[in-house]
Amino acid sequence: MSEVLTNPLRVGLRQERVVSPQCLVIFGASGDLTHRKLIPALFELFRQRRLPSEFAVLGCARRPWSDEEFRQRMAEAMADDIAQHSSAWEQFSACLHYEPVDLQDPPTVVRLGERLDLIDRQRATRGNRTFYLSVSPAFYGSGCRALAAAGLLSDPARSRVVIEKPFGTDYASAQALNKVVQACAQENQIFRIDHYLGKETVQNILVLRFANTIFEPIWNRNYIANVQITAAETVGVEERAGYYETSGALRDMVQNHLTQILALTAMEPPGRFDPESMRNEKAKVLQAARLATPEEPWKCCVRGQYGPGGSAERPIAGYRQEPGVNPQSTTETYVATKLFINNWRWQGVPFYIRTGKRLPKRLSEVVLTFREAPVHLFDAAGGAPTPNQLILRIQPDEGADIRFEVKAPGSGMRSRPVDMAFSYDESFGEPSDEGYVRLLADAMLGDPTLYTRSDEVEAAWRLYTPLIELMEESPEQVPVHPYEARTWGPAAADNLLAEDGLAWRRP
Amino acid sequence: MAAQLTLQAPLALPPAEVQPYLQRLWSTDLQGAAGASTFTLVIYEASWLQQQLIRTGRLDGPITGLLDRSLIEQARQAVADCGLPLSTAAMDQRLAWALGQHPGQHQPEDLRGQFVDTAISEHMPRRLITLAPTLDASLPLEARVAAFCPLVDEGAGAAQACGDVVVLRGGLGSLQQGLPLVDPLVDQGLPCWVWWNSSLDEAPELLDALARPGRRLVVDSSLGAPRRCIDLLVERIQSGQAVNDLNWMRLRTWRESLAMVFDPPSRREALDHVVQLDIDVEGDHTLKGLLLAAWIADRLGWHLINSFAVDGDGAGSGVGAEFQRTDGATVQFRLMPVPVGVPRTHPGAMVGLRLICAPPGRTALCVILCSESGGCMRLEAGGMASMELLEEVVPVPDESEEMELARLLGGGHDTTNPLLAAAAPVAARLLPA
Repeated sequence: MSEVLTNPLRVGLRQERVVSPQCLVIFGASGDLTHRKLIPALFELFRQRRLPSEFAVLGCARRPWSDEEFRQRMAEAMADDIAQHSSAWEQFSACLHYEPVDLQDPPTVVRLGERLDLIDRQRATRGNRTFYLSVSPAFYGSGCRALAAAGLLSDPARSRVVIEKPFGTDYASAQALNKVVQACAQENQIFRIDHYLGKETVQNILVLRFANTIFEPIWNRNYIANVQITAAETVGVEERAGYYETSGALRDMVQNHLTQILALTAMEPPGRFDPESMRNEKAKVLQAARLATPEEPWKCCVRGQYGPGGSAERPIAGYRQEPGVNPQSTTETYVATKLFINNWRWQGVPFYIRTGKRLPKRLSEVVLTFREAPVHLFDAAGGAPTPNQLILRIQPDEGADIRFEVKAPGSGMRSRPVDMAFSYDESFGEPSDEGYVRLLADAMLGDPTLYTRSDEVEAAWRLYTPLIELMEESPEQVPVHPYEARTWGPAAADNLLAEDGLAWRRP
Repeated sequence: MAAQLTLQAPLALPPAEVQPYLQRLWSTDLQGAAGASTFTLVIYEASWLQQQLIRTGRLDGPITGLLDRSLIEQARQAVADCGLPLSTAAMDQRLAWALGQHPGQHQPEDLRGQFVDTAISEHMPRRLITLAPTLDASLPLEARVAAFCPLVDEGAGAAQACGDVVVLRGGLGSLQQGLPLVDPLVDQGLPCWVWWNSSLDEAPELLDALARPGRRLVVDSSLGAPRRCIDLLVERIQSGQAVNDLNWMRLRTWRESLAMVFDPPSRREALDHVVQLDIDVEGDHTLKGLLLAAWIADRLGWHLINSFAVDGDGAGSGVGAEFQRTDGATVQFRLMPVPVGVPRTHPGAMVGLRLICAPPGRTALCVILCSESGGCMRLEAGGMASMELLEEVVPVPDESEEMELARLLGGGHDTTNPLLAAAAPVAARLLPA
């Protein structure tokens, strides 16, 4: 975002709901997510006056920190942010507390309950608690069991639990995990987070579709030829090799983030904007989605892995050369796949999804390409008229473009494509909140609209099950194609679209 | 959204029996029922206009306290019948007073406090306490009590919890005497909202007694004399009380529309060069327009130099003022009351706003915001041919007071909106003595 003057008339206009009195308990409080995302998001909520005075954060991890040490570490990690708001931090940090807890060690969980009771008395948090499991996915089930065993999830009106991604590693494990957590808490207490849903631009897909009348009538197979969903990263695996080696791009990005974007793009309009109506429609569309060739997944899926690239001056290591990565690794850092949605709206419309690391640009977007005009009356500058496209730019340069043909200036009647652009920067000029700000507030308010329900998660895993099974049983059938770092992925991914006479959009 | 009636007719009780009865109700009769752990809402529900319209036979009963369409239509008719200026808003207290001079003896059923708007019941109030003054000042205090459960809403995720309804009814004097009954009914562990749903001119002792420090006060500064309203707002805000003003809330679309004009970064610099601000309001209640001007002045860092009354256009006095910008330049301000044929429900509704910016070396920018319910020809007239003109129509939200209140209850803020807190003192100084 470029540096712009603040709009003084915009300041303070948003009056959003204040979280009810409560204590947010973060498990894994010594981890990265806590100081990089969660505490900054809470601090932002505090500065937006969305946290009540009867509020506390209790960080929990195995390290034997004190309250003061926890505050100090958070302050160090957020030094830049705090420097601009030092007095606000002083007030906010008073509500940060810490308790050493090992969820596998029942006595410490009992002690946690006692500490929470004390916080209720000291800060009038009235027994309302949100438990945030920012721990290794292996501990989601046992963590929930430990909380339930200590009686900390027994009141569905006062306690809820937020579970980070990944929720399972395949359909079977997601089902099993759902059974475990649903045995510990009611579904309306369980908040499965997907931080992509916290992004303004992802939520804007809903507003664009359902707050306007010009899009929805043409948002179907009669007018849309294909849909491309892309999430491209320029970075490599960074410090996440340990996790990434066991997940890969399919589990890390496609099954959750991109499939959620697919659901928002393709779902039917809900009757109203409430959690269950929304999640019903998302679940329905995911249940109707299929790999293009589920019996032969290798025909509709391409995997890739970045190799070395860059220049002589600035070489970029390949995935297998990254620290912590197996030099023989077959983990995919790129996936492209083709899906269909078997319902009246989308029958026959291909949805192409791709994601990859070490691609030339960092961007996420949804591109809806419309059918060609039935008759070409005019010469087109590009030989043939460019199909109309609606491009929803999720990040960066958030906004939307509509591409359409106009008359090129001059005599004659030649057409050429132009873009009509909407930019968040130019229209609003204010940075939007981090996704975690919205999602944390919603969880504490008990609003699960932007969280995924058990059937959604399972449907998303089931969608990719043929591919996952093949990757595990006959990996040679979905080979990992190498691609040079900072290129747009393997040639095989281009072929996936070329077979349909299409090409990936080059953003 | 339709209001719902309590499922059972409230039980009439001697006032002193209310508290013991409610204790018994929750501990014995409703054992096992989930009482909402939310808030207490105390409402002073005078409904003088509705009472007078019904008494004079212009409207059928019962008295509900709800501001519905038929009531507004009859009120508009009554404005003409009472010989009041056509610009008189239905909720202008002069109308109820004028109707009070007309004969009539209709005595309908009084259901105030027993209708709960769905927008409010969705927030599951733990206790609704309604104080309902009657036209007959000699009536003794009556009490009615009922348990209350919101209608179960299909698809609603959250569990529904019950509360109760207490109605205290009688002449103003007996309500005053019954005040000691109210405090024990307010759960000290839960937030308490006090909605003064009447003119701020009336029953100041009752208001003071209900709106004690620590309780969140909801008023409507369009009801009552502007000076009394703004002074009360400022006094309460400065005392640290959480104050919410429905009149201020109704300015929401105006604030949003004006902010939207300056959202594109290319226009922001113009805000540093405002030279003139004009506001038109309906009728002679100036406070809403002054609050909007005060918000603009506060946000742009203007300093008020002076304010003075100006002659209106046959609809009362206007307000003129001079502000000093942060760069020392002067901003001229005029607020003018304009006569309208079909006024909106509350006095002093916004008609239009004009903001003229003159950035050096660039074409002047003139922003005009007009209410969708009426034009703003006066603001569009004259002298703007050489300016860049930006005109927007401001939507008028068709929301009931209960919807506005529900928005507050749902927001849950326990402090005064900082924009209102900053604007109210400026508006108080803008209003000529």
